[in-house]
Amino acid sequence: MTLTRRAFLTAALGAATLSASTLTAAGCASPTTASPGRLTLWYSKDGLSDTVLADAVQRFPADRLNLTPIGDGLKHRLLAAMSGGAYLPDITMLGDDIASYFADADQFVDLNTVGAGALKSQYLPWKWDSGTTEDGHMIGFPIDIGPSALYYRHDLFAQAGFPSEPDDVAAEVPTWDDYFRFGQELLRALPGRYLLPDTKMVFTYSMAQQPVKYFDRQNHYLGDQGHVRAAWDRALRAFDLGLTAGYGGAQDQGQSVDRHAAWNAGKELSFVNACWITGELKQSAPGTAGSWRVCRSPGGAGNQGGSYLAITRYCPRPQEAFAVVSWLLSPENQPRAYLDAGLFPSSPSAFGDPRLLEPEPFFGGQATMAVFARSATDVKPAYFSPWDITISDTYTDELKNVELAGKDPVQAWADAQNKVNRLLQHQGVI
Amino acid sequence: MSLVSDVSTLDKPGSASTAARGRRSRGRYLPYYLAIAPFFVVFAVFWCYPLVYSLFLSFQRWDGIGPMQFVGLANYRFLVTDPAFWTSMLNTLIIWIMSVIPMTILALLIALGLNSTIRFTGLYRIAYFIPNVTSIVAMSLVFSSIFSEQFGILNWVLGAVGVDPVPWLSNPWGIKTAISVLIIWRWVGYNAIIFLAGLQAIPDEVLEAARVDGASPVQTFFRVTLPLLRPVLLFSVLMSAIGGMQVFAESQVLVGNRGGPDQAGLTMVLYFYDQAFYYNDFGYGAAISWGIFLVVVIFVVINWRLIQRPGRREDAR
Repeated sequence: MTLTRRAFLTAALGAATLSASTLTAAGCASPTTASPGRLTLWYSKDGLSDTVLADAVQRFPADRLNLTPIGDGLKHRLLAAMSGGAYLPDITMLGDDIASYFADADQFVDLNTVGAGALKSQYLPWKWDSGTTEDGHMIGFPIDIGPSALYYRHDLFAQAGFPSEPDDVAAEVPTWDDYFRFGQELLRALPGRYLLPDTKMVFTYSMAQQPVKYFDRQNHYLGDQGHVRAAWDRALRAFDLGLTAGYGGAQDQGQSVDRHAAWNAGKELSFVNACWITGELKQSAPGTAGSWRVCRSPGGAGNQGGSYLAITRYCPRPQEAFAVVSWLLSPENQPRAYLDAGLFPSSPSAFGDPRLLEPEPFFGGQATMAVFARSATDVKPAYFSPWDITISDTYTDELKNVELAGKDPVQAWADAQNKVNRLLQHQGVI
Repeated sequence: MSLVSDVSTLDKPGSASTAARGRRSRGRYLPYYLAIAPFFVVFAVFWCYPLVYSLFLSFQRWDGIGPMQFVGLANYRFLVTDPAFWTSMLNTLIIWIMSVIPMTILALLIALGLNSTIRFTGLYRIAYFIPNVTSIVAMSLVFSSIFSEQFGILNWVLGAVGVDPVPWLSNPWGIKTAISVLIIWRWVGYNAIIFLAGLQAIPDEVLEAARVDGASPVQTFFRVTLPLLRPVLLFSVLMSAIGGMQVFAESQVLVGNRGGPDQAGLTMVLYFYDQAFYYNDFGYGAAISWGIFLVVVIFVVINWRLIQRPGRREDAR
């Protein structure tokens, strides 16, 4: 058959019409949820345990779970689906910026209406409350938390003749001031090293230990007040005392080339961080296995990070969805998630699980769970506003300007205040 | 200009015909229109609609989920008084200048080299073009290792020859240099290939004539080759300007979403991304993108004037 131009054009016309009509038909019928008749679950890769998920598929055959792991940018996809009102997940993961969804809590099922209240006593109260709006609409069910502790190099502390066992170190550095004094002496014995990575770390974890963050419950801005200023001054003191490394380049999780190198070279003697960094530490500095220990953080318990599962209001069967959510995150499954994916349990009953209290070779046989569990239990409940992350970033940006670009600290504080005020005015908060 | 006259001659028969013939010919052209329709449909859905929508969005306050709130010109008022936006604009221009000048010179040298090599020319061309098709994020990660301050290869090499280490990714100028080097590395091969094509289009007769007249190689280059390459050079500068205004991934991977110390690596598009997709302030993000649009328009007009001017002089002669 010879293909004439007319035949070709006719065929093309037919194909175009056909595809156009299918597109239109599909467009009209675009489903509200991503896979009607099934329960779709969106989660970040490594945000839930794969083995627990695999069991859930077996356990809830009627729901025909559609598991969608999302590598990066789950929030972007969620916002796109929500503004389009189509292809929405039934269940979705939300990050520690959950407060930024509170203004739109009506987009999510109030988990109290599907029986969450009965499970409340099984979870850490501060974590539970952080997924609930001020007027009691519970949108997020606790997945994991990020209790903080002091990570330090046991071998180098001992080599310098300093206290090196976790209890001794914790007793030596109950406050940040003690920690800095200890660090100064330590650095005299171990020159050419750093006590801690940067001012941002001091500021972030000082704030994480506070019962009040940047706003009170009536949404009044508190950032220009004592506790924020104290965290700021403390961060700058660490810098002035020459305790910080001040790494350059992107410092997002897993991206800091200099820091990984410092870990491997034994240059970074200690740092305060939430437990989720253990994975990165093990992966990036395998050669330091056995040298690290963990103890109570100077300044006390704090939490940084942690996620939630939420059910969107478009989910046709919220009751069934909640059954899946509460099973996935049940106190019985949380130890598995910790062992499988490093997700720290949000249910205190998991803290005593013998599997989690096994000695860890990376920490020289220490069972770090005991330290983190203590920190997790002691975290003070706090109110988070939708703007907390932006505000925190503004402060730590200015700290970075002082630390790395030689900016005048007085000017930096004034600029931070100015920027936050502009931001809040722009957002219509003040 | 020739394009415009061609179109008008094509139009003539249609406009001269009767209404009936016009209708019939319109029907006759239908398949052609349908054949080009896919592009226009895609263009309308994925370009025009977002364009118009972003203009609409720039007058709203919107977190991406809830109802939008009309705020009039508030986003634009915030934009013109936003020091971060002006910083990002200046950074973009500085990084562009810091990358385009060395890149053009380097690309020209490589092109001259490639033009005179006899063996393995294909291999060299591919080698120089590879950076351009490599994943930019992967490259940026490699570069962040190279520029790493305390343990990077570059500082190690500098130390080996007795130079003090440079805080590449914390010093504001170090950051701009690192980003520029990354851009140069990525685009120098691409431009060298284009220059090479330009060089090969220069007729041998002209070069021979110059040689016969006793011109030295340097004289030949500056008096003959370079003037004849002018259109190609202008094309490359224009393309690099378009690319330079959109620098984003290089900064993001090297110094993070916030642009690093002193916001030294904050480019316009990075700032837009930061506001719209990191902090979910979509209204303001849209306003920034229109701010970027205006800057690009001004830039294009300047470029266009620069290209036009010599042409006019020739006309006058």
